[in-house]
Parts: sequence; C-alpha cells; structure tokens
Amino acid sequence: MSIVASRIAKRFGSYQALDNISLTVHSGELLALLGPSGSGKTTLLRILAGLDFADTGSLEIDGRETLGLSPRERQVGFVFQHYSLFRHMTVFDNIAFGLQVRARRDRPSKAAIAERVHQLLDLVQMEWLADHYPAQLSGGQRQRVALARALAIEPKVLLLDEPFGALDAKVRKELRRWLRRLHDEMHITSVFVTHDQEEALEVADRIVVMSQGRIEQVGTPTEVYDTPATAFVFDFLGNANRLEVEVTDGRAHLSGLALDLPIRLAASGPAIAFVRPQDVDIGKTVEATMAPAVVRSIVTIGPTARFELDVGGHLIEAVVDRERSRGLDLAVGDHCGVRLGQVQVFSRSS
Amino acid sequence: MADLAVTGPLSFGWRVGMLNRRSVLPGFGLSFGYAVTYLSLIVLVPLAGLMIRSVGMGPAAFWAEIASTRVLAAFRVSFATALAAAAINTVFGLLVAWVLVRYRFPGKRVVDAMVDLPFALPTSVAGIALTTLYSTKGWIGALLVPLGIKVAFTPLGIVLALTFIGLPFVVRTVQPILQDLNIEQEEAAFSLGATRLQTFIRVIFPALLPALMTGFALAFARGLGEYGSVIFIAGNIPRVSEIVPLLIVMQLEQFNYAGATAIATTMLVFSFLLLLMINLLQGWMRRRHG
Repeated sequence: MSIVASRIAKRFGSYQALDNISLTVHSGELLALLGPSGSGKTTLLRILAGLDFADTGSLEIDGRETLGLSPRERQVGFVFQHYSLFRHMTVFDNIAFGLQVRARRDRPSKAAIAERVHQLLDLVQMEWLADHYPAQLSGGQRQRVALARALAIEPKVLLLDEPFGALDAKVRKELRRWLRRLHDEMHITSVFVTHDQEEALEVADRIVVMSQGRIEQVGTPTEVYDTPATAFVFDFLGNANRLEVEVTDGRAHLSGLALDLPIRLAASGPAIAFVRPQDVDIGKTVEATMAPAVVRSIVTIGPTARFELDVGGHLIEAVVDRERSRGLDLAVGDHCGVRLGQVQVFSRSS
Repeated sequence: MADLAVTGPLSFGWRVGMLNRRSVLPGFGLSFGYAVTYLSLIVLVPLAGLMIRSVGMGPAAFWAEIASTRVLAAFRVSFATALAAAAINTVFGLLVAWVLVRYRFPGKRVVDAMVDLPFALPTSVAGIALTTLYSTKGWIGALLVPLGIKVAFTPLGIVLALTFIGLPFVVRTVQPILQDLNIEQEEAAFSLGATRLQTFIRVIFPALLPALMTGFALAFARGLGEYGSVIFIAGNIPRVSEIVPLLIVMQLEQFNYAGATAIATTMLVFSFLLLLMINLLQGWMRRRHG
C-alpha cells in the first residue's frame, strides 16, 4: 500500500507551511519525516491523514486519489503525540472503538471484535491491562494502546505524529526499538514524524529531511548521514562544526589554515565547511598535516570527552573516546595539533 | 518527634494525621478554621435551627402539617417543575455553551454576556415580563392560544420561569470543560472511522457528562428554591400551580410557624438527598475515569 504525494502545498495565512512537496512512500516501508519544528513535517502527516487540507496537489494511497476523502473514508491509522486515548473508556473499549463505530453491515460480531482486541492486546503486550482506564497507565503503555487502537481498523497505512515525543528518554528508546520489531513483523506502510535525528537514524528504513516546508533530502539513514545533500542536512543530522571558508582551485581555505582536502565543490568563492566533532583528530604535538591549536575546555560526558579547540581564532569542537583522551593527557591551555577529517563543503547558496 | 507520634502506629486515626500532615502551604489551621466557622454561621446554624424546631414538634404534629393534599400537591408541583426546567436547561444550556465555544460569529461577546442576565435581573421582574409575554393576550401567549397551549397561570408557566432562572448554571459549568476538551480526541475518533454523531455521543458527551450533571444539579436546586419569578406566572392555584416556597410564606403570614417549619424541613431533606445522590454519582464517575 504505497503513498504517492505530488506537489502538495499548504499556506497558513502568509506562512508557507508546505511548498510543493512530492514524496513517495513505498509499500511496507517505515519512513521518517525528520525536521525542526516549523519544517512542515506534522502538517504533511496530517494532510496524509485527512486532518488538515492541502491547498493544491494530489495524494494517492494504494493507487486511489485520496485528497477528497474524509479521514474516516481513508482507512488510515493515526497515532497522536499525546496518545489522545478516550479517557472514559477502558483499554479494551479504546481498541474496540474503530470496529464498534462501523456501519452495521461492516461491523464484526461482538465475539469477533473481542477476539481481534485480544489479539492486538497480545501484540502490544498489554493483555493484563484490558480493564484499566488510560489514567491508570504509564506513558509508554498509553502509547502502545494508542498504537493498538490505530491498528484495530486494519489501516492501509499507519501514521505516527512524534510517537515517542512525550516519553522520558529510557522508555523512548525501548519503545522505538519495539516499534521497529513490530514493523518488521507486520510490514504495514508507516510514516512517522520526529525532530530527533537519533530516533530517525535508528528506526527508519528511509528518512525525509524537511526544512521550512521543503524536502532537503530523501535517503536511507546511511545515505543522509554520510552524504548529506545540503548544508542544512549536515547541520541537522548530528552535531557539526560549521566553518566559513574560501574555495580556490579545489581547495578550501580557512583563514590561517589550509585544508588540503578533495572536495566535491568545483566553484570557487566563499563556502561553508562542516566537520563532525568525532572526525576531528587531536595530536599531542603538531604532526604532519596538522594545524596548531590551543585547548580551551575539556568536558567528559560518559564514555567520551569533548574538547573545545582554538584553531587560529576559530573554535572547533572535537569528541574523542575517554581512553584516547587519557592517552593525550592534555589540560586546558595546552598546545596541541588538530587534523580535520571528512570535511564537507557546501557553496554559500545552498 | 511530634510528627512521628502522630503519623506512627500510635496515632489515633487518620483525622489527626490529616491535620498534622506537613505541607509547604502555610495557614492550613487558620484557613480550615475560618472555613468551618463561616460555613457554620452562614449555612449550618440556620438549617440546624430549622431542624431543631421541627424535631421539637413531635412526629404526629409534623405529619399532620405536611400530609394535607394541598401540601403534597405543592411538593409534586415544585419537584416536577424544577426537574423539568433543569432537564430543559441541560439540553439547551449545552447547546448554548457549544455555540459559544465552538463557533466565531459577530456579537458573540454580547450573547456570552446575555447568558448571565438571569443572575442579575430581579427574579420578580423576570416573572412579570414572562407573564406579560405568555398570558393569553401577550405577544407569544396569543400565538399559542389557537394551538390550545396555555402557559401563564399553569405549571407550564412555572417550568418556563425556572428555565429562565436556571440557564446560566448549565452554560457556565459546561463552557470551561468544553473549552478544554482536546480536539485531538475528536480527530482520533474521525480517523478511526466514527461519524460526527458517533463522535459526539461516544467521545464528547461522556467527557461533558460530569459538568452537565453539576449544571443540572445547580439549576435544579435553584429552581426548587425559586420564589420571586414563579409567583407571578404560576397563578398560584392550590393543588395545580402552587409551589412549596409560596406555601411556606402563606403559613408564615397566618402565623403558623410550625406548619412553615415542617414543610421547609421536608423540602430541605428531599433536596439534600437528591443533591447528595447526584454528587455521589459524579464522584463515582470521576474515580473511574480519573
């Protein structure tokens, strides 16, 4: 059951929330819409569900034009960030809701509904909580009930809006791994919205990176992480040092420091270079191909140590593991060498 | 040590524990004492006086005062009209609250302010205005004559007056709850395939029910005690459209204090039982749904 969205646009007053979005979600994949708040990712998801309306564009779900259909005709499962369970209904009744509201001729028998609900409760591992009310459940349990409720109607596609956003860090990790396993079993075409790159990189088959109502890049987690298409994607996917450079003859120059690197950028002129903190190499002394630097601060965070280095007036962040940090034996104010690996340069216009 | 002594196994009951529980909010003793004193002076003492007076009468005399057909009929009229008016207000008050919360229209603020008018207007003014409109020669009453409907000077008129008086109670209790209702719940219901009607009946209405019940209880209690507006429109025909508060005033005018006390006490007990029932039902619902 694929989703094909083409040239979808949406304005809120003078604000362009979505700017000609075209996107294909393949049958059976788990796709992440990743972007900062205001990037339009939730608006796009809500348009897919029929909870918001596109100004222009078309949308096909399972080969059928869908934009004109109401949410209830779309057979789309939607999971809300804040669960939105029906508070006055038990877990059982919440999950059964979608089946109970069907027109009489399509409605399964009471026994069939009960059987289906128990299957789903089993699937989300909550069989023993069937008679509880949402108020009696933890956040993670509520979200699993919300998922079971959405799956009860046997939706063509499953849409999840920041499904783990309201949970604490530990539960969040557990639940997203569980969701990935669940998806591997069920293979239901799913789209989930998140602003957490780690979550998208870990869970999704493919990631759509969005910014300001546009799609920046679509690709597998490895593709978007290793070969970001734009400066925005590089910056958004994990921490990066951002350096303003000059490109001449295929070489990037940072004032006072020559980066002798093969870069993909042909055009000369001002550009932006990105390098991830873990790709910055530190030497006890200034070795060959290294630039001299001064240590400004050292913070140890769990198994890694974060250095802030002053390289010819530019502050560069480096992350090394703790063992290496001990081996370097550097203190704040010490002189050292620095080498930038894996530098990506984007021209200023992109 | 003092704390240990109170909360430990040697403390004498939860009551002491409650009073001594530590809290960051100061002034529990003062505010609690003030609240109890205030309630006693304003509510409890007058009602207790009423009870003592009626207990002093002895059961036979008490029974004799309230068992007349006229008194019983007045009870029937009072309770039936107050219930009917509260029920009408529950339906239409919900509608008014719904329109005020869900839609934007010109003059919304004015309509919103109008809802409170029955609170502010002297009830006798309302009674006289309604009587003028609904008497057989009034603007609206005249239109109803061909249909064979008489409003003024019948129990229907009492229901009308009580509906006017009780409307703000339902609107003002339901409005904030409706305002806070999460739109996502409705979206969830839609996406699960529910129609608008199903969403209202199965999702919105249950969420509003506790507030509706509070509004109903308030409107009902207000209707039971209402005097000013009703006596103008009711016609006060004994055994037909005579309400209990009027009967009490009449007993007082005839210096039959025992009679007035007995009727008032009976009214008090029944009202209290009804309100208590509604409260218990609400508490039960709240405990279930958190």
